[in-house]
Amino acid sequence: MSGWLAGKRVAIEGDSPAITKAFEAAGATLVDGEADIWVHVAPPSAIKPAHDLTHAEWRASMEAGLDRRFLGAKDFAANCRARGQGGAILFVGAPEQALGADQAAAGGALSNLTKTLGVEWARDGVRVNSILTHETGETLGHLAAYLASDYAAYVTGAVMGIALDD
Amino acid sequence: MPVAAHHIVATPPPFDAPPYPADIFAGQTVLVTGGGSGMGLAMAKAFAQGGADVAVMGRSIERAAEGAAEIAALGVRTHAMSCDVRLPEAVAAAFDEAEAALGPIALLANNAGANFPVLAEDISANAWNAVTRIAIDGTFLCSTEFARRRIARGAGGAIVNNSAQYIWTGFPGDAHSAAAKTAQATMTRKLAADWAPYGIRVNAIAAGFFPHASSTAGNREGGIEPLQNMIPAGRTGSIWEFGWLSAMTCTSIFGAMTGQVIVQDGGESLRRSLMMPDYVPPRERADGPWGWK
Repeated sequence: MSGWLAGKRVAIEGDSPAITKAFEAAGATLVDGEADIWVHVAPPSAIKPAHDLTHAEWRASMEAGLDRRFLGAKDFAANCRARGQGGAILFVGAPEQALGADQAAAGGALSNLTKTLGVEWARDGVRVNSILTHETGETLGHLAAYLASDYAAYVTGAVMGIALDD
Repeated sequence: MPVAAHHIVATPPPFDAPPYPADIFAGQTVLVTGGGSGMGLAMAKAFAQGGADVAVMGRSIERAAEGAAEIAALGVRTHAMSCDVRLPEAVAAAFDEAEAALGPIALLANNAGANFPVLAEDISANAWNAVTRIAIDGTFLCSTEFARRRIARGAGGAIVNNSAQYIWTGFPGDAHSAAAKTAQATMTRKLAADWAPYGIRVNAIAAGFFPHASSTAGNREGGIEPLQNMIPAGRTGSIWEFGWLSAMTCTSIFGAMTGQVIVQDGGESLRRSLMMPDYVPPRERADGPWGWK
């Protein structure tokens, strides 16, 4: 893995120790501002039956699992275009049916958003992929680093899991 | 039309810079079905770049031997064999032969397949049987032979299946392959579940267009150049990036991955809009610019 992301700047929004560790091992520089790679990790929402979800809870899940991802991706892609350089976007979160109805909605929306943006921004050299998984370990970090790297130059608009129940 | 100059096309590292160390498969043998040419040869070379010895299985021993010679040039041991993957006894005999030559098979790449564009009404029973049984029965028979041997040894292993980008959409004008390639992908998930207790991982790559010497679509006037602009990524795939991803799913780097079908197609299968060019039935475009004759 060493060298996969040499010279690349990555901005990670959200918390995944495995992804941070893998990106550093792959030679990327973690940054807060302008980046070549943008990773968004959504925190898992609470598991509740739909009839126990308040609208405020529902909205919070949509904002974290969908709205913020779109708006962040839009900003990132605009910066890539302004620089005249390609880039990679990676969304990470729980599988669509793993939590509550809020995640089912946000996860499904995110999947088709991934497929859409992957094609819409293809000729800007901006790739867009998603990992929807229960896994938090090493393979998640490695797969994230792979998808962000030039080794995955022909992978865009792809949505994948890791383990059997993803 | 060529890809516009202001478009940005993402490209992979060159063939001699694989994404894993040269010894990641050291001491392991991979069996690659249909490994003598095309995408199977690309898979075989990717495993060899990680130090795996390679058993190359093909319908034609001549082609398998040619491929094996190219793989051996990467510095690993190889063994070429002829086998019809539709016949369980032939598959078992080929595994015996490969293991006698190279040691236990620890990795399996199911690539064997036949594919040719043809109108559905023109697919003979023989053609249907050939295309579907090589991919569907062949993947089942080779995978189960592999798994029984791994389970008996008390050892895990990894399988990667070569599926196709058109598995979720249908493929008008290629009905036999549409059915066959989807079966490979959907059986991937169930085989992974059946063999998870034994440490055997099973994944598939739903591959886009990776031109090679024997691919149908590349055999046209002007070669593959005019095809680059049809694909969102702005290019057809480089065959070694397909080989690498296939082999990667079998490495410890992706050690927790199983039951996955990863689409690697430069966005090709997703390209659509509500307003598209007029629909033309396959039988009315067979001779046209988007046909295959």
